[in-house]
Amino acid sequence: MKKVKILILRTAGTNCDYETQAAFELCGATAERVHINSLIENKNKIFEYDVLAFPGGFSYGDDIASGKILANEIKNKLGDKIKKFALRGKPVIGVCNGFQVLVKMGLLPDPKLFEQISTLYYNDSDKFECRWVYLKTEKKVKNESNCIWTKNLPDVITLPVAHGEGKFIPINAKLLEELNKNNQIVFRYSTKDGGTPEYPLAPNGSVERITGICNAKGNVFGLMPHPERYVFALQHPAREGCDGEYGWGKIIFQNAVDFVK
Amino acid sequence: MVEIEIFTKNGFKDSRGEHVLSAIAGLGIKGATKVDYAPLYIIGGDISQTEAMTIASELLSDKITEKFEISSKPQSGKSKNSVIEVLYKKGVTDTVAESVVKAIKDLGITKEVKVKTGRKYYIYGNCSQVILDKIAVKLLANALVQEYKIK
Repeated sequence: MKKVKILILRTAGTNCDYETQAAFELCGATAERVHINSLIENKNKIFEYDVLAFPGGFSYGDDIASGKILANEIKNKLGDKIKKFALRGKPVIGVCNGFQVLVKMGLLPDPKLFEQISTLYYNDSDKFECRWVYLKTEKKVKNESNCIWTKNLPDVITLPVAHGEGKFIPINAKLLEELNKNNQIVFRYSTKDGGTPEYPLAPNGSVERITGICNAKGNVFGLMPHPERYVFALQHPAREGCDGEYGWGKIIFQNAVDFVK
Repeated sequence: MVEIEIFTKNGFKDSRGEHVLSAIAGLGIKGATKVDYAPLYIIGGDISQTEAMTIASELLSDKITEKFEISSKPQSGKSKNSVIEVLYKKGVTDTVAESVVKAIKDLGITKEVKVKTGRKYYIYGNCSQVILDKIAVKLLANALVQEYKIK
């Protein structure tokens, strides 16, 4: 069976790359942590991989704004390759700081347009918010998410968040309507039973409590919570798993690996 | 040299400004009615107006939530408010400035530039010079590494 190859892009300040690598390898893939300078030196190397992951962390110290400097660097030095990778339908994921990078370079929500049309802004609290939250998974009519990364998830899951700039804001009401209509909203903050949460379960003031989106095709996915921090039941504060020994995050990474196979 | 200030657009929450206003009230100071927070970037070097616009719009501001002002000489402050400007003291490493220099090169602007970063707080309401000094010292500037000016 084909060994799925994952590229985990790292730079100064990235700090979730090892966990992301471990999560993909748990799902049977071969995951490599590649420094951005190495990729810039050999841009076509990206096409040797099946999946591209932008891990969490504090790239370039969150200077200017979270993810901004890395987004600027990628867009100007690797933009055409990254866009081509995404438009080929290959899975791309951005977690937390990686999501901020995807949004600020414009790969989400529309990689064809490749312009920034939404943002992740400072939390309403002006604080770093770090806790376990509940996420409502959005469904299509046939009870199937539009996103290839979130198939087989139940209506509500739990994952941890840890961010200071996670407030999702689309450029206008028309874009918000399109995201809803095209099933591009993947996760919203919720209560344990799927209801509408207040702070602190809604940690940042996101528009319509959005915390995960994908492109219309469903292969490019970004989310503020950290699925790589809940691949084992032992990582949960109550040691709860979704399936005995594993956590919900494993399903997310497994979906991408199975999609490539 | 150009100064670029970044402001939150109307209609979006200026969380930092609100946080500072709340902290001022927490000090028992009355009279401040609103605080606008504006990150400040001072860019030295042979930068054209077009390049300054590119740096401000593509790099330093968020296209969705923020707007910017570019000026080539120091502002005297707006009439209905006071401004506290906080900058690093000479000799203190400005790590954000180092990142901005790198990012300007990434934008394709290859000229040598020097960058300083700071923070501006526009304080509305009735605050005397003594009160503004207290706000700056107690809340906004770390005297070990930063200095402030009240305008």
